[in-house]
Amino acid sequence: MEATYTTNLHRILVVNPRTCFTKIAIYDNNKLVYLNKLNHNSEDCHKYTRILDQHEFRRKAILDDLKKADIDIDKIVAVVGRGGYLKPLKSGIYEVNELMKYDLIHNPAGEDSVNLGALLVDDIAKTLGHAKAYISNPIVVDELDDIARISGHPLFPRKSIFHALNQKATARGFARQQTRRYEEMRLIVAHLGVGITVGAHMEGRVVDVNQGFDGYGPFSPKRSGTLPAGDLVRLCFSGKYSKEEVERMVMGDGGLAAWMGTEDVSKVERMAYNEGDATAKLIFEAMAYNVAKEIGALSVVFNGRLDAILLTGGIANSQRFVQQIIDRVKFIAPVHVFPGGDEMEALAFNVLAALRGERQISIYE
Amino acid sequence: MDINPDNCIILGINPGSTSTKIALWKGRNTIFSGSVSHSPEELSVFDSVKDQLDYRMQAVEELLAPFESYMKEMCIVMGRGGLLPPVPSGIFPMNDLLSDYLANNKTGEHASNLGGLMAEVMTKKYIQADAYICDPVGVDEFDELARVSGHPEFIRKSFYHPLNHKAVARRHAGIVGKHYEDLNLIIAHMGGGITVGAHRKGRVVDVNNGLDGDGPFTPERAGTIPAGDLARLCFSGRYTHKEIKRMLTGNGGLLAYLGTIDAREVERRILIGDDFAETIYKAMAYQVSKEIGAMFTVLSGEVDGILLTGGLAFSELFVGYIRERIGRLGQIFLYPGEDEMGALLTNSQLILLGKANIIHFDQRFLS
Repeated sequence: MEATYTTNLHRILVVNPRTCFTKIAIYDNNKLVYLNKLNHNSEDCHKYTRILDQHEFRRKAILDDLKKADIDIDKIVAVVGRGGYLKPLKSGIYEVNELMKYDLIHNPAGEDSVNLGALLVDDIAKTLGHAKAYISNPIVVDELDDIARISGHPLFPRKSIFHALNQKATARGFARQQTRRYEEMRLIVAHLGVGITVGAHMEGRVVDVNQGFDGYGPFSPKRSGTLPAGDLVRLCFSGKYSKEEVERMVMGDGGLAAWMGTEDVSKVERMAYNEGDATAKLIFEAMAYNVAKEIGALSVVFNGRLDAILLTGGIANSQRFVQQIIDRVKFIAPVHVFPGGDEMEALAFNVLAALRGERQISIYE
Repeated sequence: MDINPDNCIILGINPGSTSTKIALWKGRNTIFSGSVSHSPEELSVFDSVKDQLDYRMQAVEELLAPFESYMKEMCIVMGRGGLLPPVPSGIFPMNDLLSDYLANNKTGEHASNLGGLMAEVMTKKYIQADAYICDPVGVDEFDELARVSGHPEFIRKSFYHPLNHKAVARRHAGIVGKHYEDLNLIIAHMGGGITVGAHRKGRVVDVNNGLDGDGPFTPERAGTIPAGDLARLCFSGRYTHKEIKRMLTGNGGLLAYLGTIDAREVERRILIGDDFAETIYKAMAYQVSKEIGAMFTVLSGEVDGILLTGGLAFSELFVGYIRERIGRLGQIFLYPGEDEMGALLTNSQLILLGKANIIHFDQRFLS
């Protein structure tokens, strides 16, 4: 498993903490040399009220696994993690600092396992002693135009919370493919995963994007997206549901999970098209329909002058789903599909570019 | 009914929240059109909209007194439709079930519920005439896809301004020499409420719920609000149900940001350099544009025209903001204002010409 050591070797450890597993990877420069998904004990994941309390067992699992895999951790120069719910910031690569850790521990904008990213990489980098800790393009990347911040009521500013990491990586990858600079392109990028966010990338900045965490936009495998406001208010005041129950309807148990009892898109697709389940077909198609509508809405950001529409994320593996979107939006711009979306690679490549001096390292303040 | 389109006298009745408008036509010619306004003080003595019936009838009869001779030839009284359950687009003869439905605000309370009730009272006095309402709020031609929201507890509803949408669509079809049923149109009705509908071959297959659901914010309504934040505010204990309802309708949008619902006032502020007013006003146009862009995909980009109507379509500035965003998507046609009275007349003539889709309101709509 060991790569040949060269003087220019940048060995990077990537840490991506998810619901009850942690994905880790080792990159030697841009080459993936190790990848593993560490499944944690479900009891461990549920026994703490705060997700941050899962820090210790996840840290141990990572270090134990690297040891078991016989990885030479002394060569690691950078440890990079998913960024969490920090204060809104510009896209880029950030070295983990005390203020960042403070914000994640004391006032995160949302409670999610990704908040562990910065804390875990900082801890591991300190354990290693010779490595630096980074995060890159956390979900709170905020490059919105002022006009996109205005909602229909001043109590509810529109916020930028989206899959910045994958959207940016996909957009940059496409720009490279076209031998153009990301900073001069006009793109719409739809990340189609457990959550769905559609961003308007105006010459390197995501100037508008649906708030895909618990705000608005298309529904997704686990999230409800836009809900009719008046009906939602009536439901909240009906006395039939607790705050937590309504929050779960919006995020976690919404979307496909609520309609079909599963968040598994390929399962719903099978039910719809192989087993003749009419509801499954309707919901599957409605999800694509709503993604298309979001893409159409964002096309006005560019008044129709855009280079391409990019579809990425896990659901982009479904040819049927992708085709249903393409049929509705192809009149706007050419559509390119990049299924999957490798967060591990995106994190590693961002840090590598910074280590090579190709991109700047930003400071969280 | 003796149907002679040219001789029939038509009475249109349009009760709004602060006024009642009426018009008397012979054929397409206007014999009289007038309006009586109702001050909040006058209306405050009534507990419900239904209780205003006699009061408003009296006001209308006073307006019509000089035209008594025409009333004997009246054959149609067309009231503005109120809030109905989901129904097809068309013309509804008044009947007991419909009166009962409107009088008891079964879908919701709104001054327009009086339209059909007032028309019916008229035809009790002038028994040769028939009472109708047309294209009420509740017209529902949604594709099944458009009904699906992100959670089965919430069904997307067809809740918009069908009277003006449909009238403008037919007017446009007439002007371009086509049938409404052969056209794909995006129509944005931009008034106190804003609704953007995708008209596919004569059917409004998707439209934002402009009452309190989703879509662009408006001079007084909030449109789409972030779901999680809204739910948390509801459970915060800091606001009553009524207060939050007011944020969404009546006290949202321009009013919440700028303290006025008057677009002309906002434009005056922009002219004298009020940047905040400009940002908010542009944001409203931006959201309307986004909704239009979304509706384009509903029609897979096959759109014969974008029609802007309602009071805001009078504003060159506002229309200009929208044009900058969607000008390349398709051709824009302006039908400024909201000609509800004209729509009542057009629908009445469809009856006389035998072209109306007459729908009898019965039990099938109540299930």
